[in-house]
Amino acid sequence: MIDGTTLFGLCAAALIGFGLFGLIVHPQPLRKILAFNLLGGGVFLLFGVIARRGAGAGLSSDPVPQALVITGLVVAFAATALAVALLLRLAQATGRITLDAAASDAAPTQTQDADS
Amino acid sequence: MIGSELLLLAALATPVALLVACGSRWVRARMMALLGLAPLPALAAALLAVDGPPLVFAETRQHITFALDPAGAILLGVAALLWSAAGFYAWTYLRDEPHQGRFAVYWLLTLTGSLGVFITADLFTFYLAFALVSLAAYGLVIFDGTPRARRAGIIYLVLALLGEVALLMGFVLLAVAIPGDSLAIRDAVAALPDSPWRDPTVALLIVGFGLKMGLVPLHVWLPVAHPAAPMPASAVLSGAIIKAGVIGLIRFLPFETPLPDWGAILTVVGLFTAFYSVAIGITQSNPKTVLAYSSVSQMGFVAAVLGMGLAVGLSGTAMLVVVFYAAHHLLAKGALFLAVGVAAATGPRRLWWVLAPAAILALGVGGLPLTGGALAKLAVKPLLGEELVGLLATLSAIGTTLLMLHFLHRLAASASPEPAATASLGLTLPWLTMFGAALVIPWMLYEVTGIGAWSDALQPKLLWAGLWPVLIGAVLALGLWRWGRHLPQVPEGDIVVAGERAVGVLFTWGDVLERMEGKLRRWPVAALMLLVITFLIGGALVGGQ
Amino acid sequence: MMPEPSILLVLALVLPVAGLLLALVAGGRHAGRIALLLTPVGLAVAAAIAVGVVRADEALVYHLGGWAPPLGVALRADGLSAILLLTTAAIIGATGWFARAEFRPAPGQVEGRASLAFWTLLLALWGALNLVFLGNDLFTLFVALELLTFSAVPLVCLDGRAGTIEAALRYLLFALFGSVLYLLGVVLLYGAYGTLDIGLLSDLIQREPIALAAAALMTVGLLAKTALFPLHLWLPPAHAGAPAAASAVLSALVVKASLFLIVRLWFDVMPELMNPTAAQVLGALGAAAILFGGVLALRQARLKMLIAYSTVAQIGYLFLVFPLITRPESVPLAAADLGAELVAISVSTSAWSGGVLQAVSHAFAKAAMFLAAGLIAQRLGHDRIADLGGIGRALPITVLAFGLAGMSLMGLPPSGGFAAKWLLLMATIETGQWWWSLVILGGGLLTGGYLFRVLAPVLAGASEPVTLHAPVARYRELVVLALALCSVLLGFVRLGAFDLVQIGRLTTAGMGLP
Repeated sequence: MIDGTTLFGLCAAALIGFGLFGLIVHPQPLRKILAFNLLGGGVFLLFGVIARRGAGAGLSSDPVPQALVITGLVVAFAATALAVALLLRLAQATGRITLDAAASDAAPTQTQDADS
Repeated sequence: MIGSELLLLAALATPVALLVACGSRWVRARMMALLGLAPLPALAAALLAVDGPPLVFAETRQHITFALDPAGAILLGVAALLWSAAGFYAWTYLRDEPHQGRFAVYWLLTLTGSLGVFITADLFTFYLAFALVSLAAYGLVIFDGTPRARRAGIIYLVLALLGEVALLMGFVLLAVAIPGDSLAIRDAVAALPDSPWRDPTVALLIVGFGLKMGLVPLHVWLPVAHPAAPMPASAVLSGAIIKAGVIGLIRFLPFETPLPDWGAILTVVGLFTAFYSVAIGITQSNPKTVLAYSSVSQMGFVAAVLGMGLAVGLSGTAMLVVVFYAAHHLLAKGALFLAVGVAAATGPRRLWWVLAPAAILALGVGGLPLTGGALAKLAVKPLLGEELVGLLATLSAIGTTLLMLHFLHRLAASASPEPAATASLGLTLPWLTMFGAALVIPWMLYEVTGIGAWSDALQPKLLWAGLWPVLIGAVLALGLWRWGRHLPQVPEGDIVVAGERAVGVLFTWGDVLERMEGKLRRWPVAALMLLVITFLIGGALVGGQ
Repeated sequence: MMPEPSILLVLALVLPVAGLLLALVAGGRHAGRIALLLTPVGLAVAAAIAVGVVRADEALVYHLGGWAPPLGVALRADGLSAILLLTTAAIIGATGWFARAEFRPAPGQVEGRASLAFWTLLLALWGALNLVFLGNDLFTLFVALELLTFSAVPLVCLDGRAGTIEAALRYLLFALFGSVLYLLGVVLLYGAYGTLDIGLLSDLIQREPIALAAAALMTVGLLAKTALFPLHLWLPPAHAGAPAAASAVLSALVVKASLFLIVRLWFDVMPELMNPTAAQVLGALGAAAILFGGVLALRQARLKMLIAYSTVAQIGYLFLVFPLITRPESVPLAAADLGAELVAISVSTSAWSGGVLQAVSHAFAKAAMFLAAGLIAQRLGHDRIADLGGIGRALPITVLAFGLAGMSLMGLPPSGGFAAKWLLLMATIETGQWWWSLVILGGGLLTGGYLFRVLAPVLAGASEPVTLHAPVARYRELVVLALALCSVLLGFVRLGAFDLVQIGRLTTAGMGLP
């Protein structure tokens, strides 16, 4: 028998796994951002499970994790917004939306001459 | 006497103050005129402040202590004299040089460190002074800006840094062994014989200081760097700066407790150095390079004497003998380097006026009777004993004579092509001063320090004992002139060429590392590493205990 | 009359945040002025906190709203926090003065976007750093760390060039990866113990799988933000591409913040969990960082890239503290129990003081270096190392500052870097782990090598006359020199004064003892 807590816990683990996989493997930044959100979702779900278990004070439901999850969601939202904004700027500037390792290493040094 | 503390302070504060004054462009442009004056307070301190109370800037833990014992005073005095003469010499020698300001800054920095090593009495300040003299001298080595000087500079710097590293580790090991918070050199040396890290400490100290003295195989930088510098800088490099290594060994090795094994090692290395560098030196044609090899040889001899002392244990007064030997070498070698510059500005017609005094000094280094060199050899004789080492010492005197006569030969060949050219007074006066000092001061020191009496030194038997090696050396020198061209051409710094090739191999390793890093910096690799390290640390946390 | 000293902790947070809001309201023309006015005040507050810690001889604690944990949130400043607060205030202030000329709206302009962004981000960064140093529960620290990242990332791409945007994005994504792992660890800890307050947690925590997993996850998450080799992929392009003033704070302060959290985690939250093997792993990564960072710095063609790789290497030194503060199992303890305890205390002090001194002197030296590189690039119009000849004549003070900062990085006496390396070397011997001393010394040689590559052409003078671009204001050179001098003079700080770093450690002795 699987109760709700275990089910949600497994879901959280799966989300975290998918997120990690996406973050490591996908080359496009947009997918990385999505993977990060997936990963974050998994962690927050896990937090919710813990709240449900009421590990803190033996209550039926612990309020602290919920407050923390909300804060965490705000942080994750801000991070996503910042990342997407940067990606848009990058797309505007170069017309591409990939992080190419070789190009990015050379880029900051090349441009030193440009502003003189 | 309160004055002695002030003198000690002034000895270092004067060059530092001049250095600060160099911040002004106007002063910097005129600083060359003051270089000769900068070491004078140190000279005064050496004469007046011996064995005075130490000057301590004591905080509870980090002592900054200056003190002047007789050994330090002798070397400080003669070093200050050489620095002063070379400073005046430099004023004239670099008259037309556009970058005088830069020279003055490096000169003063090196001077501060060079004088500092003789009067610092704690680990921290000694290391500071030693690092200063080692690293600032780089500026003097490369000053000419020629490709040769730059190559010399790089070789110099690499080895100087290696020496610094060895010393730093050695000092840390010394400091750990000191009970309590003291950093005084005296406490460090007292604790050394019982330290659990005694052998690594002694090894590191010998490497660090031996490198500065040019003990084979750590000598490679010396014959490259000393000749590359401008003439007055070569004089202080080979005369005064090299003595930082000597004072280091004297101060830090535990002579009061015999260490037979280390003494034997030091003696063997020293004697090998003494002979090896004579053999290489006679193949050289640049008079400055010949002198540099002679310095290596002489320092090898000093190391051998110290090694003998370390093997049997030496008291503080017996140590003065070694200091006396080093002091004579400082004066004579400094004067000879100045002579190279004077000779180069003198035409064949007046060359004898340079060659004759130079010959007296050069043969003096080989032990010509009645010179300071003969006194120095006489003084260290009891330490060497009559056996094998004593015999080898006599052979080394023969070799030295040979090398110095070879130097005179090369010196004569390096004279100015203009027949009637004469060196200006600004060069000759400092050189003659140093010549006089190298003749007179050893005789004065011989009695003042209580090493011996003049009357003893003048016994005919001893005079003959000093003379015959010189005569044999002269005969060999004749042979060298006759058949010398058959000798192989050895590059300056001999085995350094092999070392430079080894560096090339290191560069290919650098390539490998760079390519590896490039791979690690790819996103998927780095992200995967993140997980790998998580498991690594997690595993270590679980399985570690 | 001084108020309750712990209120100062709140002031240290309120000050930058108030400045930030004020700057947003007042607009770009005044943002710079507000920031510059605030920095001396912030420095005074940090100094007052340090004095308060020394006077009290224990950590200052402030409970927000008067609620003590576990219900409320506490701020806590121990000796280490106080030192880092001071360093932060000093470097932010100096950078602000340096940046005044760069981020000032042009006379005709009403307000510059870059200028407003820079000043507000600088203030935000400052506030976030202070929160990292003062926060006393793991979730507050998470939020502080995120705020720090969010203010640091835009600083990287302030000039809006494609290359720097890309570097910023890469930085952000990797940092987020790190923060999620950290957060996961926090969640696990909360699940196991029901509190996140460091003081309470350290009492409750036990050696069990969930705590160990949390420790590993949090540590690695923070390592990613610290850019410890091999997790440094984002650092060189980000730090080298940012404007000089931004690079200075990023390299000097921001990477140290996450490192500070690792220290808190290991030595305050879960000292009993840590063991020598894990510490050796961290030390080995640090050693690899020293080697790779040093070699890569040797091979860079651009000055700013060289300095950035130097940061990678110098971070490595800070991780050597972990093995040096603990005791490897192979070394037997002294016979008597009392003796063992004394040894353990002395072990931790050398390595601990050395590590803190290394962090602080590196912060000053690296800030000075990046700012000096900025001035050099401005004057020459490029920062190719091979063509730096003749800059010594054009910018003597800047070059002097660069040299002094380099002295400290290399560990030449009498600099702060020397004192730090001396203490770390002492610790290697005292704990019987001599192999780390080879790493420290070898790293010093590599540092000497790459600095020589910069300084040799600078000092040798140019073969042909150099073409000079925009002149550099004298006061900016002096700011750089002041930072470099701070880094050198730290070596003269009587070692006793560094007793401050020991104050308020939750655990002083028992660390690493079986």
